Amino acid sequence: MQWIILVIGILLAGCSDAQSRVVKDLPSFPLDVSNQNPPLDNGEMTVALVSSDPFEGTLSRPFYSGSFDAEIMTWFDESLLSINSDFEITNEGAATYELSEDKRTITLRIKEGVYWHDGEPVKASDLLYAYELLGHPEYAGERYTFTIENVVGMDAYHAGRTNTIAGIRVPDERTIHVTFKEATPSILTGFWSVPVPRHHVGDVTAGELTMRELEASDKIRVTPIGFGPYIIVKIVPGESILLERNENYWRGRPQLQSVVLKTVNEAVVVESLKKGDVDIARVPVDQYEAVKKLGNIDLLGDLDMAYSYIGFKLGIWDEKKKENRMNPDAKLANKLVRQAMWYALDNESVGMYLYHGLRFPATTLIVPVFDSYHDVENLGRPYDPIKAKALLDEAGYIDVTGDGYREDPNGKPFILHFASMAGGDVAEPIAKYYIQNWADIGLQVELTDGRLHDFHSFYELVKSDDPKVDIFQGAWGTGSDPDPSGLYGRQALFNYSRYTSDLNDQLLKAGTSEKAFDTEYRQAIYKDWQALMVEDVPLVPTLYRYELLGVNKRVVNYSIDSRSENRHVWKWGVSE
Amino acid sequence: MIAFIIKRTFLMIPQLLLLSVLIFFLAKQMPGDAVTGAFMGKPNVSAEQMEKIRQQHGLNDPWIVQYGRWIGDAIRGDFGQSFVHKQPVTQLLAGRIENTIWLSLATLIVTYLLAIPLGLIAGRWTGGFADQLIVTYNYVSFATPVFVFALLMLYVFGFVLDWFPSGGSVDIRMEEGSMEYMGDKLKHLVLPVLSGSLLLTYSTVQYLRNEIIETKVKDFVKTARAKGVPENVVYNRHILRHSMLPIAAFLGYEITGLIAGSVFIETIFSYPGLGRLFIDSIMARDFTVVTALVLISGAAVIVGTMLSDIILRIVDPRIRLG
Repeated sequence: MQWIILVIGILLAGCSDAQSRVVKDLPSFPLDVSNQNPPLDNGEMTVALVSSDPFEGTLSRPFYSGSFDAEIMTWFDESLLSINSDFEITNEGAATYELSEDKRTITLRIKEGVYWHDGEPVKASDLLYAYELLGHPEYAGERYTFTIENVVGMDAYHAGRTNTIAGIRVPDERTIHVTFKEATPSILTGFWSVPVPRHHVGDVTAGELTMRELEASDKIRVTPIGFGPYIIVKIVPGESILLERNENYWRGRPQLQSVVLKTVNEAVVVESLKKGDVDIARVPVDQYEAVKKLGNIDLLGDLDMAYSYIGFKLGIWDEKKKENRMNPDAKLANKLVRQAMWYALDNESVGMYLYHGLRFPATTLIVPVFDSYHDVENLGRPYDPIKAKALLDEAGYIDVTGDGYREDPNGKPFILHFASMAGGDVAEPIAKYYIQNWADIGLQVELTDGRLHDFHSFYELVKSDDPKVDIFQGAWGTGSDPDPSGLYGRQALFNYSRYTSDLNDQLLKAGTSEKAFDTEYRQAIYKDWQALMVEDVPLVPTLYRYELLGVNKRVVNYSIDSRSENRHVWKWGVSE
Repeated sequence: MIAFIIKRTFLMIPQLLLLSVLIFFLAKQMPGDAVTGAFMGKPNVSAEQMEKIRQQHGLNDPWIVQYGRWIGDAIRGDFGQSFVHKQPVTQLLAGRIENTIWLSLATLIVTYLLAIPLGLIAGRWTGGFADQLIVTYNYVSFATPVFVFALLMLYVFGFVLDWFPSGGSVDIRMEEGSMEYMGDKLKHLVLPVLSGSLLLTYSTVQYLRNEIIETKVKDFVKTARAKGVPENVVYNRHILRHSMLPIAAFLGYEITGLIAGSVFIETIFSYPGLGRLFIDSIMARDFTVVTALVLISGAAVIVGTMLSDIILRIVDPRIRLG
């Protein structure tokens, strides 16, 4: 209810306010906790899995799909290779790597003293097993991705023509060589280095059990093991997990004696933090103000790896050729109109009023999380309705009937249809506000079917290039690789605007070429690509977002800074 | 009586079959499928790979083919694989159903324990202070949304007074099977059960009150009084028995409502049960789970109404004769 009132307020106040207001400083949050005391030796920490749903409990990297399962796994399992703040692999982890001269072969050496929780050493063949599972013909999970496909011989193995993967060799139990078809810097950001304990879960390749039996197995749901800092002692399905210190952890002795992870409903996060029921909890946007007032809590915050966008339908997906094809007669084929529509959006007000300042106007399609590749100098197209109107005039879209809405250059009515997703309190106000923004520059925009669509109907409409949709609003999470071709390439099914151009093809290709191992070269390429997207506007990045964590002040050595030593789970402790 | 139960049980089979066809058909009419949901926002997976998974799971076949496959397996007790949870549906449901049964049973018992005395008092002393109080409570509880009330209960008793745990079904440190374990489970049940049953009493109270008011002026009651039967006996034996009929008739429906109807309670108290699973599975288009759950609640309706009929036959001699 309060949202509706707020939005009416914004709409009534009109946009002149927002225009004259100087861009306020973004809120900034610490990345480290304030408590400097030494950690207790027998401390216990309780961490909230903030959700209205029970966690799924598929605790194995190749198979899980829920984000909470991923969060749980960080406590007891890890990758062999550590990553740096650019998400590139380093030699700090449980293994070291070497890239060959031709940058096509990676050699991993597992360090001494890395043991599974049951005391068995972590073997190179355990990592091989992960590849054997991911590429298996019967594998139905979501991780048969480019870096896996890129392994030499994976196609034949995936099609079931061979029983081994030609590109992977295990000369001894500490060493593994993985050879790729293409040398690309995506190897550095996407290399799979999470082993699967073959001896514990059973061997699918040897016929000990089927893929389905493995997915459903108690070995990954009830008694999963890893080689991480804590050992799972007990799981109450969907509800909570108890872990204890792994005395044989390869980095050293973890600080906490035990850890409890438990599901906490969004509605009670504030009370749970306040009472001390939980020490760490993700804070939902609408509870930010309440958590801010709690005296016993440090609020840590960092940029999230996601952005919201508004896309323009410019073509269709060619099912035969499996590629995107632009339609020169699309309603929004004129890029001046698209540029105008970007200038018309008052994203600052949306971020400030509807998201408490925890979201702010986005500028380019590479999120600022990618320090090295996000172009800070590119400001996108900040709110400027006057410029927007000028662009529309220039493009020949003029109000000839005098009804307040512009007609197209032929004098025909110009009505755009906007598909937006339902969900959360702010979905409707935001859609309405954007429509108002466009009306202000004289564009008539209506909601597709006159309403918001649920997740599935929305993506059905957008994916099938339904003619009822000219504009659509959604959000993307970005993976750890800055390469945008999965979302914007010519062959990308997810390129929902269906935008293509030769320059786009060239830049995306250059960004993942062997030359792009040189960071400066890759930076220059992605700078050009971001500029191209701001020029051609197949879609508007609308909002970047912060992710907030409420952390009890008794927590020590805790950091979400990707450069800090304290980002490692085993360092986290509590004082009293 | 036994012949009646057997007859009803056999009637169940075509009913469930029809229900399953209907549900399967409707579910397949919804836009999107499990693959869309699971792979959305995972741009690294190629279009070919997604298509391959659809093929593997037979998601591209016409619904009637998929139904045929499904019913064939279902008859053998295999309800398929959950796409989201990646485990057999039977295994998934087995894990959740225990909590739901605990919660539903306890809620049902507490509801009747509260509602029957309240209805009796209100009906017996109509218009009195107690009656007014009970009727007011009834209107208030009828009008209160369960998620608001559950949150309030949680806030007051879980956080401010700290009498009860604020979520979950059991403390993870409890030794399974021990007395403490059972005690802890009960303690975790108190708030969810009270939040549910305090709001569920209205229909029972209302029916009982109305029945008693009607019954107490009936001829057979007057006769009993005229014969000098003590007032308490008149109420407890003559009136109550007669007034319980509609309550018994509704028992079946109450059970059904509880199985899928505790979504809000489960969500707020982080109590993993079937209600939340049902909603999530619909959202994720995890059809195998949806159909299995609809069948379970369908079966519950049928068993519930049968139970009602049986109780009615025991309580009401007129039905037994007919």
